[in-house]
Amino acid sequence: MSDNRILETLAGQGISRRAFLKYCATLASLMALPPSAGKAFAEALAKAPRPSVIWLPFQECTGCTESITRSHSPSIEGMIFDMISLDYQETLMAAAGHQAEAALHEAMERNMGKYILIVDGSVPLGLDGAYSCIAGRSNLEMLKEVAQGAAAIVAMGSCAAYGGLPKANPNPTGAVAVSDVIKDKPIVNIPGCPPIPAVITGVLAHYLTFGSLPELDHLGRPKSFYGETIHDRCYRRPFYDQGKFAKTFDDEGARKGWCLFELGCKGPVTYNACASVKWNGGTSWPVESGHGCLGCSEPDFWDAGSFYKALSMPANPLKLAAGAAVAGAVAGIAISVSNKARKGAAKTGHETTTLADLEKHHE
Amino acid sequence: MALPDIPVVAETGALTGNARAVLGEVETLLDGLLRTGEGGIVDIRGLPLSPGDRIWLLEQLGKGEVEIHLDIGGRSRILETAYPAVWWIEHCDEGGHLISEFIQVAYVPELISAHPDDVESGLEHLRNRNADLS
Amino acid sequence: MNELQFLTWVRGTGLDIAVAIFLLGVIWRLVEIYSLGRKKDLAAPRHTPGASGWHTIVRRSVPPPGMFKQSPVTYVGGYVFHIGLALIVFFFAPHIKLIEGLLGISWPGLPSQIIDLVTVVTLAAMVVVLVDRIKKPVKRFLSTFEDWFTWAVTFLPVLTGWLAVQHLLLPYTTMLALHILSVEVLLVVLPFTKLFHAFTVFGSRWYNGAVNGHKGVPV
Repeated sequence: MSDNRILETLAGQGISRRAFLKYCATLASLMALPPSAGKAFAEALAKAPRPSVIWLPFQECTGCTESITRSHSPSIEGMIFDMISLDYQETLMAAAGHQAEAALHEAMERNMGKYILIVDGSVPLGLDGAYSCIAGRSNLEMLKEVAQGAAAIVAMGSCAAYGGLPKANPNPTGAVAVSDVIKDKPIVNIPGCPPIPAVITGVLAHYLTFGSLPELDHLGRPKSFYGETIHDRCYRRPFYDQGKFAKTFDDEGARKGWCLFELGCKGPVTYNACASVKWNGGTSWPVESGHGCLGCSEPDFWDAGSFYKALSMPANPLKLAAGAAVAGAVAGIAISVSNKARKGAAKTGHETTTLADLEKHHE
Repeated sequence: MALPDIPVVAETGALTGNARAVLGEVETLLDGLLRTGEGGIVDIRGLPLSPGDRIWLLEQLGKGEVEIHLDIGGRSRILETAYPAVWWIEHCDEGGHLISEFIQVAYVPELISAHPDDVESGLEHLRNRNADLS
Repeated sequence: MNELQFLTWVRGTGLDIAVAIFLLGVIWRLVEIYSLGRKKDLAAPRHTPGASGWHTIVRRSVPPPGMFKQSPVTYVGGYVFHIGLALIVFFFAPHIKLIEGLLGISWPGLPSQIIDLVTVVTLAAMVVVLVDRIKKPVKRFLSTFEDWFTWAVTFLPVLTGWLAVQHLLLPYTTMLALHILSVEVLLVVLPFTKLFHAFTVFGSRWYNGAVNGHKGVPV
């Protein structure tokens, strides 16, 4: 299967060259690439072989899979799945049990060093990885084995990219990101809880077209999608600049669509494409629906204070303040007692100087 | 209360001035098309245009003689503007949502012309058909 | 640690530590100062001592005759940046939000454009007084490390706050975190440097005025 050329496969499914060109143009637009890149996509993709993709789910909620597969079907994003040979995906594959494991190993052997590994979910390290096992093997063991033969790894969703919710304080399972385990393979992080479907397809298309991962930021995210903050691209931004804020979720400001900063919006510190790509086929996105951004594409967003606390407010209640005030008072009193004692000592030690003493000194 | 009754102001219709820049870009591309034969594409979605900007731009470009509808994985529409060789391209997905929009400067938009590979396989089909008929 | 984790730390643990040291220091020093205790002056007061205290608070807030002409920069620059700091700290909407989060009280803020203007003027005034301190030989001679240091820890929060709001130099997240961190440094050093005058200035003026008034030499 994986030897087929992409365009031939698509044609077999009734997808014409023009539909393909349209898809590539849209993809380039989504990735904020110059419009001419659409043509480059189309030319390269038409000739590219379908790569084998192995998708491993670890400590996750299947929300990422839902996000991709439930994207307004049949979709432009869905088309990417016709371009790849998805050889192992527990949730989607018909096989189960030993058959599924056999499919995994067959795909690995056949495409050794060439397949793309998609991981969603974090990797638990606690109790030797016993918190999450597939076919009696820990996620850690499986990841190490499958990653060995991968050409590149896509860490899908905030859990795989940064540890996500499982890693939230106090991190009972010892969850870590894929990049904490695998150090010798190119890894692209596609964070989000879940990530935007167009982002994963964009990254796969880039890989298919150019044979490399897109340019990444310092957190391993593709710059084309994570290059700007939600706040920078937010249509409510003018209200922030004017100082017009919704104070509650149902006040006049909220009804007028004012800025949600004071309601805890993390837009100013969150890098993602929601404001431009939007969700559910471009229908809307969180801020447009009246709720502030949670910051789900940032590491440890879960522990970055309450979702409903403004960024300028303390992340946690102050615990040391009362104790410190008491300690300060005690220190102050102790020093004043010591001062009083010194004063008393000076007073008792005081000797009256007479004129005779001074004269004696003078001699 | 029905959803449309909830008064939420979603976007502003104000002009940002960016649409003016797009017109300038189109002018440059048209000039290039005449001199070198090479046109170009402007990605409407890739620019910070307000809905008001988009409407203004459509009004400025006007409507020409040609309107092409394509059914390619969702509907697409190619409109000639009042300026020959300036085309407004809209792509919708199968749900009818607008997914991308471009202005293309070209004598004929690429998307219209048939690809030689497709022509070849078409010819083969026709040959077979003719062979069957005779 | 990435920017968001850095920001979360300064908003959480960092703030907790800084506020704790600040409270500890302020209460310690206030208790210490006010419990020093002076011997009661048994002589009959020559002036109403309380009134003399208030008088001195006002008197020392205006330049003595001739002094304004001698060092106008000190007075104008000093006033501008002190008032500017107060306006920025207590009337910028996100700051009020912070105080509300800590103490539960709030009041209306000023429009961000006005705060922006005040900030620029404050920064300029602070630079001017610094240049004045460097250029005037007497001032330079009298300056110690503490003077340069306290200038810096006061200047940095204003500068980083302004840069963060204006989206300049560094990404907003990093700049905001640096701003909060610089404020935390200010909170930590305030009780233990001359910056403590924020708490003692009027008390000590009142005390001096009252003591001198008692002796019949109002100042």
